[in-house]
This record gives sequence, structure tokens and C-alpha cells, in this order.
Amino acid sequence: MKYTRIAATTVAIALAASACGGDKKDGADTGKDPARLKVWMMGDGTPEQTKFLDQVETEFRQKHPNTDVQVKYVPWPQVATTFQKAAAGGEGPDVTELGNTDVQSHIEQGNLLDISDQVAGWADAGKLNKTALENDKADGKTYALPWYGGVRGVWYRTDWFTKAGITPPKNWAELTAAAKKIQDAQKVPGIGVPTDQTNALLSFVWGDGGDIASKQGGKWVGQFTSPQVKDAVSYYTGLITTDKVAPEKYVGKNELQGPQTDFALGKLGMYIDGSWAYAQMKKIAPKNADKWAVFPIPAKNGGNAPALAGGSDVAVWKDTKAATAAFDYATVLNNAKNAAAWADISGFSSMRSDVRFSDPRLGVFTDIAANTKFAPISSGWGEFEQSKKVVPNMLKAIVQGKPIDDELKKADEQANTLLNP
Amino acid sequence: MLDTASAVGKAPDRGDPPGPARSRRLRPGPYLLILPALAVIAVLMLWPIGQIGVMSLQKIGNRQLRGEPAENVGLEYFRTIFADPFFWQTLRHTVLFAAVAVTLTMTVGTLIGLLLNRLGRRMANLVAGGVLVAWATPPVTAAIIFSWLFGTTGGLVNWLLDRLPDALVGGGWADYNWFATPLSTYTVLTVCVVWQACPFVAVSVLAGLKSVPDELYEAARVDGSGPWRSFWTITVPLLKPIFMVLIVMSVIWDFKVFTQLFVMSGLANRDAFNLSLYAYSEAFGSLNPKLGMGSAIAVVLTLILLVVTAVYVRVMVRQGETA
Repeated sequence: MKYTRIAATTVAIALAASACGGDKKDGADTGKDPARLKVWMMGDGTPEQTKFLDQVETEFRQKHPNTDVQVKYVPWPQVATTFQKAAAGGEGPDVTELGNTDVQSHIEQGNLLDISDQVAGWADAGKLNKTALENDKADGKTYALPWYGGVRGVWYRTDWFTKAGITPPKNWAELTAAAKKIQDAQKVPGIGVPTDQTNALLSFVWGDGGDIASKQGGKWVGQFTSPQVKDAVSYYTGLITTDKVAPEKYVGKNELQGPQTDFALGKLGMYIDGSWAYAQMKKIAPKNADKWAVFPIPAKNGGNAPALAGGSDVAVWKDTKAATAAFDYATVLNNAKNAAAWADISGFSSMRSDVRFSDPRLGVFTDIAANTKFAPISSGWGEFEQSKKVVPNMLKAIVQGKPIDDELKKADEQANTLLNP
Repeated sequence: MLDTASAVGKAPDRGDPPGPARSRRLRPGPYLLILPALAVIAVLMLWPIGQIGVMSLQKIGNRQLRGEPAENVGLEYFRTIFADPFFWQTLRHTVLFAAVAVTLTMTVGTLIGLLLNRLGRRMANLVAGGVLVAWATPPVTAAIIFSWLFGTTGGLVNWLLDRLPDALVGGGWADYNWFATPLSTYTVLTVCVVWQACPFVAVSVLAGLKSVPDELYEAARVDGSGPWRSFWTITVPLLKPIFMVLIVMSVIWDFKVFTQLFVMSGLANRDAFNLSLYAYSEAFGSLNPKLGMGSAIAVVLTLILLVVTAVYVRVMVRQGETA
């Protein structure tokens, strides 16, 4: 008995050891069909997404019948560490989805394969959004393909707006007024402005004609102390501190750590999120689902503020042994038919010019997506936003009473160093 | 680790009989016996610690992890850290938190231990089983539970405080954000960590109490000493070795608390960072990892803990001498 157990343990350890050590990759492409293609998708993976990817796999296998596609979902909060482990341990994917604001960091860290030649040889490449494709390039080489984009708008309750006689706000003053009216009528906070939501602040900054950083002579220069940014930051934090239409309870949090649930449950008047929030909110409070609608974040003096072009790209991982198959997978995933199917399933806009939403409910997001901007295209954005959290910490400090000029100056200094790594 | 090291030094002395007839022949037996333990410690602890030390002097990102040579930066990271007021803020948080949490853990744990000692067998088992559940809870689970308890949407604590009369606790609790300021964040963190750590103290203290002869307390009672006095003149001196070990271990644990703070407050609240979270955010917080910088912070934390351990070993050796 005892010996059997020891033997079994020894074998198990030996197997584990060989599994860890036996998978050395050198990035060479053998040209032959690999037995297995590892695909990483970001997020939690809904059943609809899994079904969609199964169909993509079926189509992919028409060309590569001997390749088994293995999809793994990486939850967004674990993205940085998961990719880091992949780089360190060699246990990475062959083809992967990437957050579009992360692409430059990936390129800088040497995670992605140069796919310039394959892209040049792909007939559909010309249909991809030009600005988005620019974000996937460095030194004239292409490292990823734009896949889909997401923009955020202001979610509101149609029934509450009707009752209070409000129409969707067209400028900042109207937005504050609407929040105030909802707050008075419904006894819930008018709007949620979490401090850990850089994308929302960016829309307000852009909606005032400013930007947080600009490229001058090849270097990023922080613009936080410019009058427009100061104006936008004062407005955003003022919703909490002076107008008192936004609660302090979202300080230090993001839109998912409170606002989304509160809004779905009818405990919050408005909040800023993307089209993808709809599915999640329906899970939280299905009975309210038909009362939700979205309007674009207004610019200061009217019109739509530009929205951050969030979204995802597809790239081939540098360590792959199956570059050809990996790129084929990416092109099948993003062909016209699958891109259209994915847009309808996910609620994200395709980055192909020939694909549109078929659901009119999402029309407003198509309008919003017509006016997008990018965060500074710098490999330092990852650190600026993810580990240093410059904008969230600045907003938090200002809400908690620190002098705004000091905080803006500090943010400028951080932008000047972090965005020029 | 250091215990083992001192055992190595002593082993031959103990093995050698006092007589001069025996030559100083090397006896491999004791060394062979501790060899497996030493090997495991070397692989699992010494080697990684050495690596961290080397990495703290290098610039390391994903490219270097793939095998590109790392650039040596010397002591640059340490200079950066010590010049940065943010580092001193995180260090202050770490030290203050450890001081408060250790004090509370020891107090509450000892009180529970005393209670367990007084209870009848059946009740003691029940209470001990109950508190051990807290100890057995994984840190992530505990952190999630506490962030729900203290949450702003549907959190039990805010709900309760809001229902208490305003004269007692003040108003405005319904939307109170516990994770907005460092002080309130650390209040929640302290409750969470103490809740998890005090059962271990309680059980250890109980084990110590079981070894104290009842006659001592009886004699004290006969001499007119109350429970307070008995505790300080009998229990504390007799259990001092146990208390010392528990305090040092608690200091070490509370200095490197990470999981609970990470889950509850996260990277978005830099003003509430402690050293562990600071090291993590530098090393793993973004797609541009700065593993060298993270290692440098970890080295500083390790050095502080080594000092604590050294104090501990000194205390242990002293106790060995007097006992």
C-alpha cells in the first residue's frame, strides 16, 4: 500500500516537472498545422461568446482540420499578471485578444509577433479602421489587428426622465440640472462619478476641447494644467463636492464597484458605462431592463463629447510555433460574417468599415462611436493608468479637498515621465 | 531558517562526549539528517531571496524575463525609493498597522484563550471550533466577506450603523465609503486581520495555560490575590516564551499583509498602500512590469523582517540560557 502511494506520488511529481520544463519555444514557425492552437480571450466569457467562438473554430478547421483550438478566458483584472507569466514561463497563447490601450505596452515589452507581411497579404486589411490600426503599429511595423471597439455613454432611466420632464442633456449645465431633478424627485443620487474611471474624465476633457497630454517634438507633454483640463476636472469633481449631485461613496472605486449595481437596482439616477453593461444589469435587475436608455456624454457647450475608443485587438504572441495558423485564426475571427455576428452578440462596434449593428437599440452607441479619440498612444500608458493610476488618484485627492492646482501640476509631472518611458 | 542554522552550529558540541579521549572526528550523522530540510529551504527560500536581491539591482521587464540580458542599474532603485516621500508613507502605514493589529490580536487572542480555559470541556470545544473557522478562512475569502460587510451597496455594517440612533454614532452612515480614506480603510483591514489571527493566539495561549499547574493559582488565591493580579504575576511570566513567539510571528505576518488590502482597497487607492502593495503595484501592476523596482521594495521589507527575526532569535537564545 505504502509503496504504491510513494510510487504514485513520485510519478506525479515527475510528470509535473516534465510538464513545466518540456515546452520550450523559440518562436519558429514550422509551417505545419499545429496539434493545438491556444487562443486567449479577455473577460469572463459568456455562453453566447463561447458559442460564437465554437463557430469560429468550426470555420477555422476547414482550413486547418488537424488543429484543435483551445480557448481560455482571462478576466480583465488579471490581464497584466497573466501576460507577464506568459512572457516569463513560455506558457503563452498563440493568438490573443488585447485591450487596445495595452497594445503599445505589449509591443514595447516584446510580447507580440511582427505581422506586417501577413497583414499586407490579407485582402480585408483595407477595411479596418485606420486610426485603430495606427494604434497597433510601432516603427512602421504592425503587431495587431483592430477587432472591435466600445464606447461609453450615460445610462439613464427613461421613466424617471419622463416623470421629471427632462430630455437627455445636451451640455454640462443641463447634465447637472438633470441629475439635480432626479435626485429631488426620486431621492437617489443623481449621477455616479467614480474617481477610478479615467475614460469618463477623458470624455469631459475632450468635450471641453482639451487633452491630458500632447505630443511635442516626439515627446509626450502633460497638459493637465491647461485651462480646459482644469475646467473639466473641476466640473467632474464638482458634481460630488459643490453641486452635490453625485455621492462620495464611489471615491476610490470604478464604475463596476457600485454604480452599475446601484443604477440597475434603481438606487442611482445616471452613470457612465458601455453597451456591454446592459447584459450585466439585466442579470442584476431584470424587471428594470426596459427602462434603461443611453445618451452620449455631452460636451461643455453642446454636442457629443468625444468618447474613448476602448476595445480590443487581436495579436499573434511572439513565442508561438504556429504563426501561420495563428494569423489565419485572427482573420477568420474578424472576417465580415463573424465580425457582424460578434457585433450583434457583444454590443461592441466592429472595427471593420463594412460591418454595422443590426439591432436599432444600439444605434446610440453607433452615433457615439462616430466621435472617438484614443488615450495617448505611448507604451507608458500601461504604467500611467494601471499601476500609478495617475488620473484616479488625482481625482480622489481633489474630491477629498486637496488644492486642484497642486494635483494638476503633480499629474503633469507624472505624465511627463511615465508617458516617455 | 535561522533556527536551523543555529542547530547546525550546535550539533557537533552536543554529539561530542566531554572526554578528551575522543578525537574531533567529523560525524556525518546529524548533518545527513538535516540535509533534506536544508535542501528544501535552500530551493524554496534562499534561492528566491537571492534572486530578489539580484533583481533589485537590475532593470527587468517582460523582455528580460524572456531572456534578453538585464541592464545593471546598481543601487538606483534604492536611491529612488528612499528619496520618495511615497515610500515613507507606505512604510508608515505598514508599521502603524502592524503595531495596532499585533496589539489587538494579542489582547483579543489572549482573552479568548483565557475564556476557553475557564469553559467546560464541551463548551470549550464548541467555542474553539467556532474561532478556528475564522483562522481556517482563506485570506481572499475573508477579504471578500469584509468588503461586502463594509460595502456601500447593501453592506451590513453601514445598514446597522444607519439604524442606530444618530446621537450614538452620528448620521450619514448609509452611504459611508470605508475605502475612501487610509484611516477608515485600515480600520476595516485591522478588524479583518485581527479576526483571522486571534484564534491562533487563543489556541496557543490555551495550550500554555493547560501546562500551568492549578496549585499556583490556588496558592495565589489563598494569599489573597485577585484574578487580575494572578494573571500578571503567574500567567504572564510563565507564558512569556509563548507570548514572545506569538508576538514576533504576528509582527512578521502583519508587516506583510497583502491579500486583504489588495482585495478590499485595490490599486486605485494609492494613498492607502502598504509596502507589500507598493511592491506589487510596481512589479505586477501594469503591462510594463518594473520587477527590479518591485524587488528593491521587497528587499527593504525583507531586511526589516530580518531585523525582527534577529530580535526574536536573540530572545529565544537568552531564554534558553536562563531556563
